[in-house]
Amino acid sequence: MSKEQNVAIEDELYAKREKIYPRQVSGVFASLRLSGVLGLLGIYYLFPWFNWDGRQAVLFDLPARKFYIFDLVFWPQDFFYLALLLIIAALSLFFFTALAGRLWCGYACPQTVWTEVFLWIDRKVEGDRSKAMKLDKAPWTANKIIRKSIKHVLWIVFSLFTGYTFVGWFTPIDELTTTLINLEAGPWETFWVFFYGSATYLNAGWMREQVCIYMCPYARFQSAMFDKDTLIISYDEERGEPRGSRKKNIDPKEKGLGDCIDCTLCKQVCPTGIDIRDGLQYQCIGCAACVDVCNSVMDKMGYERGLVRYTTEHSLQGKAAHVLRTRIIVYAVLLVVLLVGLIYAIGQRIPLELDIIRDRNSLYRTTESGLVENIYTLKVINMDELDHTYHLSISGLQGASLITRTTDVKVEAGAVMELPVRVSIDPYKLKQTSTELQFHLQSIDKQDLSIVETGRFIGPVTR
Amino acid sequence: MESPRIQKVIAVLWPSFLTAGGATVLFFTAFDPTEFLITTRFADLSRLGAYTIGFFLFWILTSGSCLLTCYFQRPCNGH
Repeated sequence: MSKEQNVAIEDELYAKREKIYPRQVSGVFASLRLSGVLGLLGIYYLFPWFNWDGRQAVLFDLPARKFYIFDLVFWPQDFFYLALLLIIAALSLFFFTALAGRLWCGYACPQTVWTEVFLWIDRKVEGDRSKAMKLDKAPWTANKIIRKSIKHVLWIVFSLFTGYTFVGWFTPIDELTTTLINLEAGPWETFWVFFYGSATYLNAGWMREQVCIYMCPYARFQSAMFDKDTLIISYDEERGEPRGSRKKNIDPKEKGLGDCIDCTLCKQVCPTGIDIRDGLQYQCIGCAACVDVCNSVMDKMGYERGLVRYTTEHSLQGKAAHVLRTRIIVYAVLLVVLLVGLIYAIGQRIPLELDIIRDRNSLYRTTESGLVENIYTLKVINMDELDHTYHLSISGLQGASLITRTTDVKVEAGAVMELPVRVSIDPYKLKQTSTELQFHLQSIDKQDLSIVETGRFIGPVTR
Repeated sequence: MESPRIQKVIAVLWPSFLTAGGATVLFFTAFDPTEFLITTRFADLSRLGAYTIGFFLFWILTSGSCLLTCYFQRPCNGH
């Protein structure tokens, strides 16, 4: 970014922010965005209500430390999968950014999606752009006070509902609803309903495009993923200039004009308030509202569509556009490998965990009969949705014996069982002070449900 | 050129909010609050309560570090 641009940004921050009233727009991309918005909002508000096997289908149950996703139940021990999922999410962001620019910003970002809802409320209550601008300029009449109050009440109700749904992803939503209605909800649940609700109200109601411009890290670094073949929204300067108003039936060439009729509708529909004709700008979130509105103007004028369009820098320069570039291929291959890896890993996942905790008080002890003994606490975690009985055995330490109250460990579904065990050995059989030994757990009722974990046996070496 | 106050406030509170969120997830994935609080006076605190307090403690910590970064960005000569 050049110095002049820096100064401009800071001037903007010094200057009082000019409120933006994006004009409503219809067209191909507006419909696409609407379907994206409705789909994502549908997922967000409806998913917590779906049930599966007698429980919430998707529930990231933080109080119980378990994540339910349909048939799958994840434990904190499964953090690996979450990490992998996050890497995949980041990589897909890179991939789609390199391919098609700021798709995420224009269609899928929660900031965009919720702002769309708030704008919809604005338009229902205050009217479209010109009416809303007029209302803001007007003195505080009863009509203005009523309209503004209705708008804020709707904003707040919607925000609180959003906050409530948010908490419903992390604690069972049925319980949450009953307790909230009876005013008996826990203090922390209530806190998060209000916290997330106020964040929604502030971000989607008041901050809007400022979140994208000043706060979003992605907006700052996305340009690093761009190249000259990335899809961008651009004004065709060569075709449009010199811009100027004209009568519909006049031949622009006769008047020495380009195709841009300078109606400024592209500026009026822009949710970040920029003029796309000034060139590629970091404030542009790629929502394509200007494409839609310009196309409708071109249709009315009887000109060819696409004065503002999705294009690439290369094709603007008249060069061939390449979809398959090295970085696209690398991102795609990595994505496919990781995705297949994740699915395979989840398919192979064994819902059984064994933690070996050595007795912290003593390294070893010697029994009356002269044997050396180590004491462990075994933590058996049955992450399955069924009860299981596991057979416990050891290996790796020649001549050692396992002493425990039972070698058949029954653990209920989703439960953790702690089992104190001792391992003893004749010290003459020890070859080194610290030896690895393996604990095996084999499910009695299910052949492929087994796990091996390695622990350490410590004892004096007798030579 | 001195950056405006609002930008400084955002530069302190916002990145620290994001990193505090990450730290909270990592910390409470590794440690179950009910286990390490059982021997303290906070034994009756619910997990959600512990997560919440933990998040805000992390946020204080990370915003402290952002604050220092902002502070040290000022040129040391001058005045």
